[in-house]
Amino acid sequence: MIDALLDWRDRLLGRGDASITVPMFDGALKSNNILEEAPVFVALEAPEDLATDGRSLYVADGVTVLCYDVPAEGGEQRSPTEVQRFDRPVSALACLPSGGLAVALDGREVRIVGGAHDGRRWDAVGGTKLNAVNAISVTPDGRLLVTDGSLEHPVDHWRHDLMGLGRSGRLFELNPADGGARVLATGLAHAFGACAAGAEVWVSESWSHRVRAYAGGKLGRAVTDSLPGYPSRISPAEGGGFWLTCFALRTQLVEFVLREHAYRKRMLAEIEPQYWIAPALNSGNTFLEPMQGAQLKMMGVVKPWAPPRSYGLVIRLTDKGLVRYSLHSRFDGKHHGVVSAVECQGDLFVLAKGCRRILRLSVAGAERKLQT
Amino acid sequence: MSGNLPATVPILELRQATKKYAGVPAIDSVDFELRTGEIHAIVGENGAGKSTLTKVMAGVVTLTSGQMLVEGREVDPRTPNEALQLGVAMVFQETSLVPTMTVAQNLYLGQEKYFNRLRGIYIAAQQFLQSLQFDVDPTAVVSLLGAAKKQMVEIARAVLHNAKVIIFDEPTASLTPEEKKYFFDLVYNLKARGVSVIFISHALEEALLVSDRITILRDGKHVVTDDKANFDRARIVQAMVGRDLSQTLYGQRKTTVRPQGKRVLSVQNLRMAAMVKNNSLSVFAGQITGVFGLVGSGRTETFKVVAGVIKRDFMHGGEVLLNDRPVRYFVPASAVRDGIVYVTEDRKIEGFFETQSIAGNLYLGLLAKLRGQRTLISKKEASDVGMHWIKRLAIRAIGQDVKAIELSGGNQQKLVIAKSLIQEPELIIFDEPTRGVDVGAITEIHQLINRLADEGKAVVVISSYLPEIMALSDRILVQRMGKVVEEYSALEATEEKIMYAAIH
Repeated sequence: MIDALLDWRDRLLGRGDASITVPMFDGALKSNNILEEAPVFVALEAPEDLATDGRSLYVADGVTVLCYDVPAEGGEQRSPTEVQRFDRPVSALACLPSGGLAVALDGREVRIVGGAHDGRRWDAVGGTKLNAVNAISVTPDGRLLVTDGSLEHPVDHWRHDLMGLGRSGRLFELNPADGGARVLATGLAHAFGACAAGAEVWVSESWSHRVRAYAGGKLGRAVTDSLPGYPSRISPAEGGGFWLTCFALRTQLVEFVLREHAYRKRMLAEIEPQYWIAPALNSGNTFLEPMQGAQLKMMGVVKPWAPPRSYGLVIRLTDKGLVRYSLHSRFDGKHHGVVSAVECQGDLFVLAKGCRRILRLSVAGAERKLQT
Repeated sequence: MSGNLPATVPILELRQATKKYAGVPAIDSVDFELRTGEIHAIVGENGAGKSTLTKVMAGVVTLTSGQMLVEGREVDPRTPNEALQLGVAMVFQETSLVPTMTVAQNLYLGQEKYFNRLRGIYIAAQQFLQSLQFDVDPTAVVSLLGAAKKQMVEIARAVLHNAKVIIFDEPTASLTPEEKKYFFDLVYNLKARGVSVIFISHALEEALLVSDRITILRDGKHVVTDDKANFDRARIVQAMVGRDLSQTLYGQRKTTVRPQGKRVLSVQNLRMAAMVKNNSLSVFAGQITGVFGLVGSGRTETFKVVAGVIKRDFMHGGEVLLNDRPVRYFVPASAVRDGIVYVTEDRKIEGFFETQSIAGNLYLGLLAKLRGQRTLISKKEASDVGMHWIKRLAIRAIGQDVKAIELSGGNQQKLVIAKSLIQEPELIIFDEPTRGVDVGAITEIHQLINRLADEGKAVVVISSYLPEIMALSDRILVQRMGKVVEEYSALEATEEKIMYAAIH
C-alpha cells in the first residue's frame, strides 16, 4: 500500500523511477568518432559473435563459423576458412584453451566442436531448457560461463524482452570436462555476456544498464552502474581490464515508454516490432521508423544534438570495473549495434551487427587519438 | 573642479599614514599620491594593507597618525559620507547595497526628493544605467541579483555621485570577460572626464592593462610606486611577495591529467527555475572537474542544488545520484553527512560567522557533520580542532581566538575551506575559491585543491577565471544557459575553445 502511494507520488511529481532521466556521456564516456573511422576488416551476411585464440579471429556468421588469420598491419588478408557449418544459426561463440570451440545454436543449445571434448552438448540447465543463449566465455580453468538472455523470448527477440520488461535472464556455468552444469544466477534483466574477473564473474544485465559481479555464490555489487547504453558481451583486454560493448543507447523516449504500461502494451500488440519506439541495431532505413530526434533532418543535415535510435559503443573497463575510455560511432555513423569486441595481437576487432561489419583498430592508435 | 589644479598638485595624498588596530599597524608610514585623471592600481598580498589604505581615503576608518590631503588641503573624513562630500567615493569589494531595495532605490538612496515617485527614479535609473551600458533592470530587487550585477550597481552608484576620486576594491572579481570590457571602458571614460581612479586588483594582468601607475604594498608598508611601463608581471609579483611566484601561480599548461576514478556524482536532467535547464553532468573521484561559464550560466545553482543549499524544481526536477544512489537534500547538513560540501563563493554571507573565532567556526563545521553525536560541546575539542586546522592550512592569524572578520580575505577563504574539510567530504565543491584572494594565498589554495584530488576526493572547481580553470582542472565542463554544453580534457582545452563554448 505504502509502495503504491509512493509510486503514485513519484509519478505525479516526476521523481524517483518516474523521473525518466538518462545518464550523459561525459568523462571517459565522452563521445568521439574512433569507432566510426575504424577500417572495415570484413563485411559479412549475418555476423553474430567474435572469438579469438590469440592468433586467429573466429566469427559466427549465420550458420557457419569462419576463421580469419590476423595479418600484421599492412599485411595481405587471406580468405577465411570455414571451420564448421551447422543446421541452425550460431548465437554465441568461444574458443577453448584446449582447442576447439564452444558454440550456442539458435540460443537453445550449447555444443563443443573439436578439441578434447568434441560433441559435448547441453540443451537444458537446472531443469530448464536453454532459450536465448547469447554469450559464452571461458574461465582460465576451462569452464564455460554462459548467459541466457530470456526464458520468454528467443535470442533474436531481444526487443520483445526489453519492451516486455523481461527479468528472466540466467547466468550458468558449464564444465566441458565432465558435462556438469550449474546455475549461478537467475532473474536477470536480460543477461548478455559474462567474463571471469579474478575470483569473480562479471555479467552484463542489459535492461538494468549495469555489469554485476557474481562472487561467493551470489550476485553482488554492481561493477559499473548507470550506463547510458545497454551493455552486452565482455572480453578481456590484453593490456589489463576488459572490453564491454553496448549494442544500443538508452533514450528518454524509450525510458518513458517503458514506464507507460498501457501505451507499451498496446504498442506491442498493434505495431510491427521494427516500428516500435525501442532501440535498434541500425536505423534510418525507412521513414516509417518512429522519429527519435536524431533522425530529424533540417536543411538536409541530421541534427547533431538529438538522441539516437541506434549507436556504436565500446567501453574499456579497468580491472576494477571503472570506465577508462570509450570508442564511439555516433548517431550519424554507420558502425552501430556493437555486440562483440575481442582483442587479438594488439588490435581490437569489433562486430558492428547493425551494419554487419567487423572493424579492426589498433588499440595503441586509438589511445593515442584519445590523448589529443 | 580638479581640472583647475596645477598639474603638480595631487588630487589626493597620504603622508606617513599609519593605521593601527589594537596596537598592530595595518598600514605603517605609507606615502601615497594620486594624480588628477590617472588610473592608479594598488596591489599587494592579502593583509598587505590595501583595503585599510583605501578605507582611510573613503572615510571608513580614520588614521592613527599621518595626514590626508585632498587637492592640497588637509582633511580628516570620519564617515564615507564626509569623504563623498570631499569627492572621494569607494566601491566596496563586498557590496554595500540594501538588499531589500530595488536597483534604482539603491542608486538614489539618500537623494530622494520629499515627494518621491518610484516611477521617476526608475526612469532616471534606466537612462543612467543605459548610458553606462550596464544591463541591469532598475526595478529588480538587489537581493535577487547575481554578484556581477550587484557590482555593476555599486559602480553605477559611485559614478552617479560625481566623485572626483573613485576607489574600486576588486571590481572585476565577479565580472565576466564581456562585463570586464564594459567596466574598463567605463574606467577610461571616467579618466577622460578627469576623474581619478584607484583600482585594487589581484589580477595583475588587469593592473598592467588598465592603470597608469602602480603602487605595491607589502605587510602594511609602501614598497614601490612607478609608471606601468616600468613594471612587468614578474617584477610586481616579486615586489608583492618578496619571492618569485611566477612559476607556481596558475602554473604552466597541464601535460598530464589524473585518471578518472569511480563516478561519485551524476546529475541527470536537473531543473531549477529558469537558471538550470535539464542539466546533466558527472563528477569522478580522484579528479578535479572544472566548471566554467559566464555569470548566469547556472553553474553555482546546479551545485547548490547538489549540496542542498537550494532546491531543484518540485516537479520533474531531474535526478541527483551520489554513488549511483538517488539523493534529494533539503538542507546542506544532510548533504554534509553524505559527504558533500560546498565551499561558497560568497564567504562573508554564507561561509562563516564573522564574529565567531576561528576555532568556533571550525567546531561548528564539525558539529554539522556529527549531528546528534555531541550532546555537550567541548571547548577543549574546539581548541584542538582550531589548532590542528590553523596549522594544516597555514591560516595566518595571531591565534585561534581571532574573530573571522579580522582575518584577511585569503585567510578567511582558508577558514571556509578548513570548515568544509573538517567534515571529511567525499565530494568537495569549490565555488570561486580564489575570488578576492591574493596571489600568495591563491597558490596555497590551489596546492590544497590539488592535494585533495591526489588523495582520491572528487573535486569540483567553479571559476570565472580561465587561467585558474586551465591550471587546476583535469576535465573542464563548460556551462551555458543552464546546462553543460561542452566538455574538454585539460590536454585539449584552450582558452579560446572554452570561451567559444561558453558564449555560442
